[in-house]
Amino acid sequence: MTDSFEPASFRDRHSRVFQRDKRIYRALSASGLSEWETLAATRLFAGFSRRGALVATRRADDEAALLAPLGDGWAGALEHERVPFISYPYEWSFGMMKDAALLQLDLVLAALDEGMILKDATAYNLQFRGASPVFIDIGSFITLDPGEPWPGYRQFCQLFLYPLLLQAYRDIPFQPWLRGSLEGIDPRDANAMLSTRDLLRSGVLAHVRLQAGAQQRFASTGRDVRADLRKAGFDARLIKANVAGLRKLVAKLEWTRHSSTWAGYAGDNSYDEANHQKKAAFVRAAAAERRRGLVWDIGANTGTFSRIASEHADYVVSMDADVLAVERHYQSLKQQDVRTILPLIGNVADPAPALGWRGLERLPLEKRGTPDLVLCLALIHHVVISANVPLAEFVDWLATLLSGGGDLVIEFVTKDDAMVRTLLRNKDDQYGDYEQPNFEAKLASRFEIVRQETIQSGTRTLYYARAK
Amino acid sequence: MSKFLVLAYLDPGSGSMLLQILLGGIAGVAVAGKMYWQRIKAHFSGGSKKPD
Repeated sequence: MTDSFEPASFRDRHSRVFQRDKRIYRALSASGLSEWETLAATRLFAGFSRRGALVATRRADDEAALLAPLGDGWAGALEHERVPFISYPYEWSFGMMKDAALLQLDLVLAALDEGMILKDATAYNLQFRGASPVFIDIGSFITLDPGEPWPGYRQFCQLFLYPLLLQAYRDIPFQPWLRGSLEGIDPRDANAMLSTRDLLRSGVLAHVRLQAGAQQRFASTGRDVRADLRKAGFDARLIKANVAGLRKLVAKLEWTRHSSTWAGYAGDNSYDEANHQKKAAFVRAAAAERRRGLVWDIGANTGTFSRIASEHADYVVSMDADVLAVERHYQSLKQQDVRTILPLIGNVADPAPALGWRGLERLPLEKRGTPDLVLCLALIHHVVISANVPLAEFVDWLATLLSGGGDLVIEFVTKDDAMVRTLLRNKDDQYGDYEQPNFEAKLASRFEIVRQETIQSGTRTLYYARAK
Repeated sequence: MSKFLVLAYLDPGSGSMLLQILLGGIAGVAVAGKMYWQRIKAHFSGGSKKPD
């Protein structure tokens, strides 16, 4: 299927993404091409591209050959820089969503200054390069006709503002909701989740309550609202006031949960300094064996070992199921402008699924890049004992993931360990498979064990293994 | 059809478009007034029109 479009790129008929020889291109209609030419000449394009907030884009060489297999109707092609690893809003922490929203609004404000606007406002148009958001949908920019409203306002609310408001005001994590609804949170649903008391909080009355009411009131109106607005003198100043107000609102939003099961783990775990150093040295030696393209750190917590792995890798995807741990990781990466470690919310026992049209629009985690090295530290007891995944199945899953020749660093934690005892406290021990000899035999059946080291008075063992 | 409408594939929602007047700050007040006045005018002139 090298000659067709990316399965997620179908909504906009004037601008569609395709790959050729592992490079990313965008086909543009004649109208789309003329908008690109307008955009490419703006200060906004130069400025945001320079700081990496717009995906690096240029007119493709040999457009005719690129476009020929795509059929009629295409006037030009752009080439985009490839983002190292695709992620989706339901995998982002609060701070990631907030920074993505601010970039989206900054782009609208800058576009208005150039007589342009963005035709949509979906969070899926943003990606992260490490802890730095980047806008990827160059086809969104269009010249604003006089009298037209901001087409993306409702979508901005559904996919950026409501998720942030719910988490900031009600401490409801937005990720499960966005995973369940690719169009985001409907104004009516957002309204139902916010109480009357919340009406006093910034943004709720105008953007949630009134929008929910207006949506219902005018859903089946026969009026040409666009024409009415134009006649009444609607212009870009009104859009600018709204967007500036939204920017102020979003910039102020904070999520103030301070504790979770795991977020304090890095500073408050069962390791003493000597054992922590041993573990770090083991991971460093495995990581340093050779330069890796992509590393996955699963159960990464706040990313201590992702940092170590990134010393010898192009890119590290650092996943944890704990939303606060990921948020803390993101904030520390952001502070140092790290662009080679991507923090994501993810649970290996319930990974991000295939979603959207044909189940191809949003890809499952494993379809977005194959790791050359997986770090799986202090995780297996959670997978086997908390999530009830049979130990053999988990090792098989890792072996399949790494079957292209990848390596694994895995830590086994015995039932004598304080952490495992805590997990078993309220459970019947049905985990006869969770014993070190059984684990080693299973690991050896799918991997070649290169070296191992026992730490923490014998309750934890690290293995460096290569997929067979 | 204008090029803007040709390119804009997203339905902004009638209610959400109208709400943008209210969110438009000071400039929005004049637009709201004018819009209201037009509706009053339409109400009266539309009511006296005989069907063809």
